[in-house]
Amino acid sequence: MIQGPTQPTESISPPLPAIARGRGLKGVQIRQIKSFTRAMLFLAPSLAIFITFVFIPLVRTFWLSSYLTNPLGKPTVFTGLGQYQRMFSTPELGNSLLRSVLFVLETVPATLLLALILAVLANQRLKGISIFRVVFSITIAVSSATASLIFMYLYHPSIGSLNYFIELLGGTAVPWLTSDKTALTAISMTTVWLQLGLNTVILLAAMQGIPEELYESAMIDGANGWNRFWGITLPFLSSTFFFLVVVDMLAAFQTFTPIQIMTLGGPADSTNLLVYSIYRQFYFNGNYGLAAAQSIVLFIIMLLLTIFQFVFVERKVFYE
Amino acid sequence: MRKPFYVVLVSLVVLSMLLAACGGAAPTTAVTQPTTPPSAGGAQPTTAPTAAPAAAEATATVKAAVPTAVPTATIAPPKSERATKIEFWHSMAGDIGGKAIPQMANDFNTSQDKCYVTPIYQGSYDDSLNKLKAGLQSNQTPAIVQVYDIGTRLLVDLGVATPVQNYIDKEKYDISDLEGNVLSYYTVDNKLYSMPFNTSTPILYYNKDMFKAAGLDPEKPPRTFDEFAADAAKLTQKDASGKTTVYGAAFAIYGWFFEQFLAVSGGMYVDNNNGRDGFATKATFNGPEGLNIFQWWQKMVNDGVMANYGRKTVDTRNAFLAGQTAMFIDSTAVLRGMMDSTKGKMDIGTAFLPRPTEDAYSKWGTIIGGGSLWIVNNRPTAEQDCAWEFIRFQSSPEEQAYWWTMSGYFPIRKSAYDTTVGKDWSAKYPQYTTAIDQLHQTPVNRVTQGALIGVFPSARATIETGIEEILSGKSTPHFPLDNAAQTVTQAIQDYNASMGLK
Repeated sequence: MIQGPTQPTESISPPLPAIARGRGLKGVQIRQIKSFTRAMLFLAPSLAIFITFVFIPLVRTFWLSSYLTNPLGKPTVFTGLGQYQRMFSTPELGNSLLRSVLFVLETVPATLLLALILAVLANQRLKGISIFRVVFSITIAVSSATASLIFMYLYHPSIGSLNYFIELLGGTAVPWLTSDKTALTAISMTTVWLQLGLNTVILLAAMQGIPEELYESAMIDGANGWNRFWGITLPFLSSTFFFLVVVDMLAAFQTFTPIQIMTLGGPADSTNLLVYSIYRQFYFNGNYGLAAAQSIVLFIIMLLLTIFQFVFVERKVFYE
Repeated sequence: MRKPFYVVLVSLVVLSMLLAACGGAAPTTAVTQPTTPPSAGGAQPTTAPTAAPAAAEATATVKAAVPTAVPTATIAPPKSERATKIEFWHSMAGDIGGKAIPQMANDFNTSQDKCYVTPIYQGSYDDSLNKLKAGLQSNQTPAIVQVYDIGTRLLVDLGVATPVQNYIDKEKYDISDLEGNVLSYYTVDNKLYSMPFNTSTPILYYNKDMFKAAGLDPEKPPRTFDEFAADAAKLTQKDASGKTTVYGAAFAIYGWFFEQFLAVSGGMYVDNNNGRDGFATKATFNGPEGLNIFQWWQKMVNDGVMANYGRKTVDTRNAFLAGQTAMFIDSTAVLRGMMDSTKGKMDIGTAFLPRPTEDAYSKWGTIIGGGSLWIVNNRPTAEQDCAWEFIRFQSSPEEQAYWWTMSGYFPIRKSAYDTTVGKDWSAKYPQYTTAIDQLHQTPVNRVTQGALIGVFPSARATIETGIEEILSGKSTPHFPLDNAAQTVTQAIQDYNASMGLK
């Protein structure tokens, strides 16, 4: 998306060859200017939106990160790179980064694996299968705030039903949200449950788009169910998987609602993911400058991640 | 097979939009509901099972005019079109905000025809404060705003308020009947900046039946830290397999409680005498008093006699109601709800907040929590005058008695106890005398006045993280406490620098 505005300028105004300078070339230049203007005219709406909502805020965030702000958000004391210095000298950023990475690892693979299993099951041709399809994808219809509240009561330290069943089966109660050892996993479980519906639906739709003939000819060649899944289904799903990995990772990195509702980043900062810690610094602690500096770090991380995915992962993906 | 699936898919999407629309709205009410614990750092998204049914009953007996069946009282239109209309932003959810405050506004609006007040619920204390900050820049402010106790320094420093002292001086308004302890909290540089509105202190709640079962005297609750730990050990019950079925006590991880324990121990939260003899520059809560509290708390959890139900005070209350713990501490503001939900099932006792030693009782005490009403100074003078009229009206003995019985917050005026409503109330709920005695026995000094800092909400959250660290067994109490102090000191210094305070 960001390539939008830059691409045309490259293609439209290539460097003029040295020999081409002179009287007769004025026409060429005029034509180039004309076509450039026309291109800009067409791009203007998207450029305007990008400049207003992406570039200006980005520059302003840089600027804000070099200031101390008063509680009303007015920058009052210039600190240069002081906010960055502080950010890298305190353990908070490192902890938030570590927690974010752990969270991605705890949610994305589990979501994809479970969604694949559900999609394969839902793809069977059985009577009444559409009921199961609805059931498997129902979490699309649940907002993350609702899900967080539901899980908060399941995890409740004194009246939670999850612990009730665990104890009924002879286990010991787990301090889900009140211990720093289990809180992140508890949030991860909520997120996996929540993301499962969307992932299942998308995988199922992709599976249904695989040409039937391939399976038929494979069956004639004597391929068993496992071979067909491994040799046809999975390769055909790779582009969908790529899409889901990107989407799920971005979603995991930006997780906010379950944390705000269930833990507020606690206990002992164990669920203080990067995006949430930026929110806390900005809205709760009123450290607008520090929050801006953290946002810049997040921006750089996301940028690198996106580049990495498009350069390396996308190559291995098979598009029909 | 394919076609029906798409039909299902489309209907699912439509359904999801509908549900998301509904789902989006529902949780917000639950989350932004301000905590019943009065001083409620707002950091706690609690849904408090408090005074709901009881308030309705009180309305019926106290003020027949309130329609008890209607969930939200409506505000009657102004009597005169020429009345000055003012807004009153508050953070009281549930029946307090839905009935008691509108009723108060109606009483005020019908008592005269010059001013007309409209109360508006603005979400939690934090939400409301954020809206005020944003409104200050676009001149969209109310004439009266309810701000939590810990926002006092911030509002004074921002210079956005007209001190109510100005009106008190101008009218020679008599404040001798107002509670001295309450006034002292909101007095900054010898000026009363805002009028106390909802005030409370923390007290100890205990289950008398469990005291009897454990062989303890139910009329002699623990008074010192050591007695508390010993009683908690005796009250703890285990089943045959060694699993704990009842914990002796439970504290919610709430920074307000730490502040209160520090105050009853005689410790200062910040330097310059709690920031009251000059701007605070440094956190001092990591002294011996603070360390003692951390050690006491950690030891009880490590010994298995105290449970940890997390930060939300409502979770600890629920554990107490479910008979999973025998003692807990919470605001006096939840007493009403506790009494109502345990009626006939459990005998609840209340006591003073435990102190480190017996002689601490005469020297120090608890700090006032809750919120106060501020007059915003960028409104026209006529609106500010009306704001004062309302503030004066709500602090009258009758309104204060009504407010007390409806909400559970203390009256700010001593004579409110002498009204018929007040007398009936004290007779009906003797447990309330604990809270009032604790208030009246607290000497006013720099410790019990409480700290004044502009970054209190974040300081409180920092302490909570520190408590979580010691309870997780990660470290000895020194490090989290010193780290917290360092973080808070840094925040105070940033604040002072950004505001140009020296």
